[in-house]
Amino acid sequence: MNLDLQQQIIDSTQSVFDTMLMMPLTPGITLTEKVYNFKDSISGMLGFAGDIQGMLTIHCPQDVAFAITSTLLGIDVDEVDDDVKDTVGEMANMILGGIKDGFVEHGVQINLAVPTILAGRSYRVSGMDDALWTTVPFYLDEGEFLVELKLKAPK
Amino acid sequence: MNLLQSITDATNEIFETMIMLDITAGDPLEKSVNSFKCSVSGVIGLAGACKGMIAIHTPDTVAKAITGSFLGMEVEEVDDDVTDAIGELANMLGGSIKIVLDSAGKDVTLSIPSCIHGEEYSMDCVADADWVVVPFTIDAGQFLVELQIKNS
Repeated sequence: MNLDLQQQIIDSTQSVFDTMLMMPLTPGITLTEKVYNFKDSISGMLGFAGDIQGMLTIHCPQDVAFAITSTLLGIDVDEVDDDVKDTVGEMANMILGGIKDGFVEHGVQINLAVPTILAGRSYRVSGMDDALWTTVPFYLDEGEFLVELKLKAPK
Repeated sequence: MNLLQSITDATNEIFETMIMLDITAGDPLEKSVNSFKCSVSGVIGLAGACKGMIAIHTPDTVAKAITGSFLGMEVEEVDDDVTDAIGELANMLGGSIKIVLDSAGKDVTLSIPSCIHGEEYSMDCVADADWVVVPFTIDAGQFLVELQIKNS
């Protein structure tokens, strides 16, 4: 499969921030190590299947999730409530939607599952260590968040 | 499709044939549970003609007991063996539910399993989906199996 996964993640995330949030966003360099542990964060996970199987996750520290939510919904947010969780889940949906379109251009079809949102003081997300992981950090004024794409090699 | 029956059958069969632990199914919960303390959760997505997710939520002690029985070894702490085992359990549940859905003419495929472990975390599903949560009891305690599904 001839797909630049880092570029797919950056293009889709950038496009979501440009069109939906109008927040300036700076992509960083793809991480060389896997990140498992999160503190005071919210993660939106969305699985997909089809020609390839995998999972897209956006990991946001609370402050970043609050900033995104208040920009998207135009309200003040200072706690992890349903608005914040829905927003982070919807971000995963929109970013993976863009990546799906990019995949289609390369003849790769996927179907999306439903988003699951994790939140907590301290949690660890693991699984599929043998999958292909691509994790790209992005920077906002409020901090850094990660977009992680895990792909299982086609059968 | 009877979600309750499907998820109960799938869980019973996996525990009988793979984990080798006696389990007792309880009544399905009327209200979904989404906050967990010192627990391990395995989750896998379903996509295709229906979409949804399957999750298993186990307190640390139950996760260790399941892993110990599954792998035939002593488990002292929640390590990679435990998170892998609970992720694999979600994968097996997904496989069983896939067979039920496929035979009902709703072709689905599974995403990859993930495992969450933490002292305190919440897990919510944003989809406006049909859901069922069934508690199961083993000697070491109780765990929950959750299925959420909606038509694409």
